[in-house]
Amino acid sequence: MKNKNEELLKGKKFFEGIKFWQKQISELGNLKACLERKKSESKKFPQKLQNKVEIRTAAERMIIKQLHQEIEQRKQTELLAQEERNYAESIINTVREPLIALDQELRVVTVSRSFYDVFKVKPEETVGQLIYDLGNKQWNIPKLRELLETILPKKTTFDNYEVEHDFAVIGRRIMLLNARQIQRVLGKERIILLAIEDITERKEIEAGLEKTRKELEATKISEDAARNYAESIINTVREPLIALDQDLRVVYVSRSFYEFFKVKPEETVGQLIYDLGNKQWNIPKLRELLETILPQKTTFDNYEVEHNFAVIGRRIMLLNARQIERVLGKERIILLAIEDITERKEIEAGLEKTRKDLEVIKKSADEVSEFSESVINTVREPLISLDKDLRVVTVSRSFYEFFKVKPEETVGQLIYDLGNKQWNIPKLRELLETILPQKTTFDNYEVEHNFAVIGRRIMLLNARQIERGTGKERIILLAIEDITERKEIENGLEKAHKELQELAVELKRTTRAKSEFLANMSHELRTPLNSINGFSEILYDETFGSLNEKQKKYVDYVLTSGKHLLLLINQILDMAKVEAGKMKLVLSGLPMKSLLNEISLLVADMVSKKKIEMSLEIAEDLPNIEGDELKVKEILYNLLSNAVKFTPEGGKIGMRAKKADSEIEIVVWDTGVGIASENMGKIFEGFFRVDTPYSRVTEGTGLGLPLSKKLVELHGGKFSVESDGLNRGTLVRFTLPIIPRKVV
Amino acid sequence: MNKKALVIDDNANNLLLEKDLLEVAGFEVFEAENATVGIAIARKEKPDIIIMDVRLPDMRGSEAARILRQDKEMSEIPIVFVTASVLAEGREEIKPITNSGFIGKPINTRTFVTEISQFIKGDR
Repeated sequence: MKNKNEELLKGKKFFEGIKFWQKQISELGNLKACLERKKSESKKFPQKLQNKVEIRTAAERMIIKQLHQEIEQRKQTELLAQEERNYAESIINTVREPLIALDQELRVVTVSRSFYDVFKVKPEETVGQLIYDLGNKQWNIPKLRELLETILPKKTTFDNYEVEHDFAVIGRRIMLLNARQIQRVLGKERIILLAIEDITERKEIEAGLEKTRKELEATKISEDAARNYAESIINTVREPLIALDQDLRVVYVSRSFYEFFKVKPEETVGQLIYDLGNKQWNIPKLRELLETILPQKTTFDNYEVEHNFAVIGRRIMLLNARQIERVLGKERIILLAIEDITERKEIEAGLEKTRKDLEVIKKSADEVSEFSESVINTVREPLISLDKDLRVVTVSRSFYEFFKVKPEETVGQLIYDLGNKQWNIPKLRELLETILPQKTTFDNYEVEHNFAVIGRRIMLLNARQIERGTGKERIILLAIEDITERKEIENGLEKAHKELQELAVELKRTTRAKSEFLANMSHELRTPLNSINGFSEILYDETFGSLNEKQKKYVDYVLTSGKHLLLLINQILDMAKVEAGKMKLVLSGLPMKSLLNEISLLVADMVSKKKIEMSLEIAEDLPNIEGDELKVKEILYNLLSNAVKFTPEGGKIGMRAKKADSEIEIVVWDTGVGIASENMGKIFEGFFRVDTPYSRVTEGTGLGLPLSKKLVELHGGKFSVESDGLNRGTLVRFTLPIIPRKVV
Repeated sequence: MNKKALVIDDNANNLLLEKDLLEVAGFEVFEAENATVGIAIARKEKPDIIIMDVRLPDMRGSEAARILRQDKEMSEIPIVFVTASVLAEGREEIKPITNSGFIGKPINTRTFVTEISQFIKGDR
């Protein structure tokens, strides 16, 4: 805006300059006319002056006549004819102007009448007086004193001594004094004859002439000055200015034109405007302007031209032209002022754009407010907007739905009065009346209220105090989130969390109790088992005397049962240990080939007793592995003894072992009872017993398979059981890493 | 002269079993049903080996062993704990005791005496 104003101001100034210039030119014309008039006047003037002198001379002749009469009288009385002749001649010679004769002492001897007339003095107060004292000492003129006292004693005459004096009665006068010193014929006394010519008017005319002459000179000077001035205007105005003659050739170019259009003076003046700077001024619109419009009108203003200049690029210019006549001569000059309004245009365009943007914004503001209302209506949370007086302005659809109120009984109502005053909630009052005036926003204010229609609800209130887009009114936007269920869930979660914590503590306690219980159980079971097994063995070994066959057989049963019980106790403890993560492996290098043979020998007795065929396929390159010797033996023994136990007489069992990558794979198989597919999932549960005729007679703890699996996994191996079904045999496949990855 | 063995166990059956096994093997066996009596007998008889349970009525077997070790005359007597507390916790308790051994219950009657004998230094 500021820039634009400046630009406009600049333009205005420029045209003021032009106008001034034109005024100067017209004044110059006036001056010229005045000069002519004065010249002719001054020619007429001398004639006038002569006439005046002639008139005066007539008056003076009268005086002379009178003087002559006096002289005649003197002739008669003094008889000094010669003296009188000389005297008279002198008078005649001097008399034209007022005349005064002074004696040696400068006292008035005679005064001409014209003197009296001119100087408005009376004869009685004049003759005999000192000249300086005449007319109230108004003749006491320094220049006159100088003349009479200094010059005259040396010279006997002086002419045209100019004296200017401000007389009391007749005002400022310029006088031309002419003096003669004459000796009176009789006697030695000297007479000074002083002729006074009033040249005041003449002087004035002379001064007028001089003034006119000076003015004439001044006019001449100012004519030059006007031209200079105009040129300096051209040079000083910021806008490029170019003067063209009638043929549209450049007469004069302002400095700024050169600077602006990057052209040089030598390639500009005298050129056709269209040819300037590689014909870049050959602009159709300019042609139209100069060739069509200007011949018809002498002036045009603000003709906008856009042109893409070779050097300075696309420019928008405002052209102003004046057709003027040059002061001297009749030639017409076209003065073309070029204002670059490219930037101003850009600014204007910017302004226009801003205005349009503003409109868009206004439009979008409306859209926004529409949008916000639709937001209010679409959000799931009930939303209500209140005015300053806490009266309902807008309510979201969800609000109506949630709180079972109707639009007609809501809008315009005080919030507390909504739905049979069920909104008259102390905490809400506190919030709206105490908190909100101090803060413009609050979040997550929890309010619990028992509504008549919808029951006890816990709500989370969020409020914003906003100013409405239009107007200054403030709106309170209140979002109500029903968190009743969430709260319930939260409470449930919290409760569950607490319970879980309690459970965890309990679990820790029970784990410890369990392990204490297992330790105690182990101890308490072992103590009686020590007696059972110990004494049974002593009896069986007949340490203290022989038993009969039956006695020995029964003692053996006791011992076997005791050992079974012991195995059961040990396996239960191991399972508990593994499950508690307390089972630790004691690793050492295991010579697998001999170890496998060793275990097979442990069952060989049972195998031969049951007339079962056992085959071993142990790979030649089976490597030794790192493992817990006791545990690996336990696994192998469990699996082989299971195979024996669950395979009827005449069946087959076998064990294969080979290297598989970084592991060894061992398979223990049998042609025994197998596992029904529906039981496959149960075999790793403790104490699972295959319900077969054999199982009743077969001894087993029901823990062998799950324990073996856990021990394999403890080594980092895999354990799987395969069976084609009941009575179709079982195949247990497991791997043991050659070097266990993790040592537990 | 037969070697002397002191067996300390509050369970009469276990005491009897061990005594039988040791006597059969030719030991002179002294019995005690608690630590205090056992320690007194040990002082008096200076057995070649002491076999005791870990859980005793008057004190822990480890405590009794500490008392025995502090007595100059008995500090060298090997102690074999025969105990039903076979779990790791039980073993940790007796580990620091010098010149001691461990046999879990139930014992193997066929190897018991051999195991015990291994702890007795050949001198006596």
